Amino acid sequence: MQRVLYYIVVVAILAVFVVIMNAGDYMKKPRTQADNFPLHLQLVTRDIEKGDWELAKENRQRLEGAWKKIMPRIQFSVEKDEMTAIDFNLARLDAYIQARDRSNALAELKEAAEHWRDLNR
Amino acid sequence: MNEALVTLVRSLIAFFTLLIFARLLGKQQISQLTFFDYVLGITIGSIAASLSVDLSSRAWPHWIALLTWSGTVLVLQVMSHRSVTANKYLVGEPALIIINGQVMEEAMKRLRYTTADLLEQLRSKNVFDLSQVAFAVLETNGELSVMFKPEYQPLTPKDLNMPGQASALNTQLIFNGHIMEENLRQLNLDHTWLSRQLGLQGIDDVSQVYLASYNPATSSLYVDRFQDQI
Repeated sequence: MQRVLYYIVVVAILAVFVVIMNAGDYMKKPRTQADNFPLHLQLVTRDIEKGDWELAKENRQRLEGAWKKIMPRIQFSVEKDEMTAIDFNLARLDAYIQARDRSNALAELKEAAEHWRDLNR
Repeated sequence: MNEALVTLVRSLIAFFTLLIFARLLGKQQISQLTFFDYVLGITIGSIAASLSVDLSSRAWPHWIALLTWSGTVLVLQVMSHRSVTANKYLVGEPALIIINGQVMEEAMKRLRYTTADLLEQLRSKNVFDLSQVAFAVLETNGELSVMFKPEYQPLTPKDLNMPGQASALNTQLIFNGHIMEENLRQLNLDHTWLSRQLGLQGIDDVSQVYLASYNPATSSLYVDRFQDQI
């Protein structure tokens, strides 16, 4: 009985490790509107395509807020480099929106979306 | 990303995974490891280190690498255990290096085992004269086993037709001032007997004893007190 319990504990520990290391896909799913990263990506893209730079600025801030909420949840199961890349995308996007540079802003959004997809891959 | 926190969690994962896998892989001592086992150990340790601190990649691929390496070693161990042929190819075979005082140069050449290595290992076995050696076998872990010629073998009680003394494993009865009840029960001994034995050695309380072990073959009790009298 003690031996069986020993094996159960060992398997349970390994199972917990596997879950922690692979929870990224589940953890990046939005819980509320405020942490919906893909939605805010779409909103900023739409704003820029329409040329509404003021709304794009507001939605970019919401996008950054969503990213800051998600980061602590996914940090144990994703690459640090992918997270850093999204940080840089958001910083550059801010500058392009301020400069009203449509093509570069859209390029940053596209790249951020790609990094988002690659998280936990 | 909180790098310190992530490193802490990943290190705990690496540490306990390595502990579990190492326990699965058995109890070989460093001195019993073959060269391949040694390299395997380094590789597995290196993968665990990457899992712990290489934050530029996900923990999961490192963990899978750790699982693959440990799993492969486990499979090979099982194969070696079950099949003599597999053991021969996976672990190798011991080689006779000296027969009746004669060095087997061909075997040494095949194993790339130098004369300096041989003489060094012989000296570590207290062999300074090759003519005393009946057989020397180079084991798969690199250790040299030496069998002396009959005239150079140490004298034993049997040679003198003397009866040998029975031997048995010592059993701990007291550790760190506490009686190990289960061991006492297994030896069919009790507290009264133990108190009497301790009393004979001038000890009136168990708390004064750091370690006490009993040898059933000689019926003797070894006692080490906290207070050393050197």
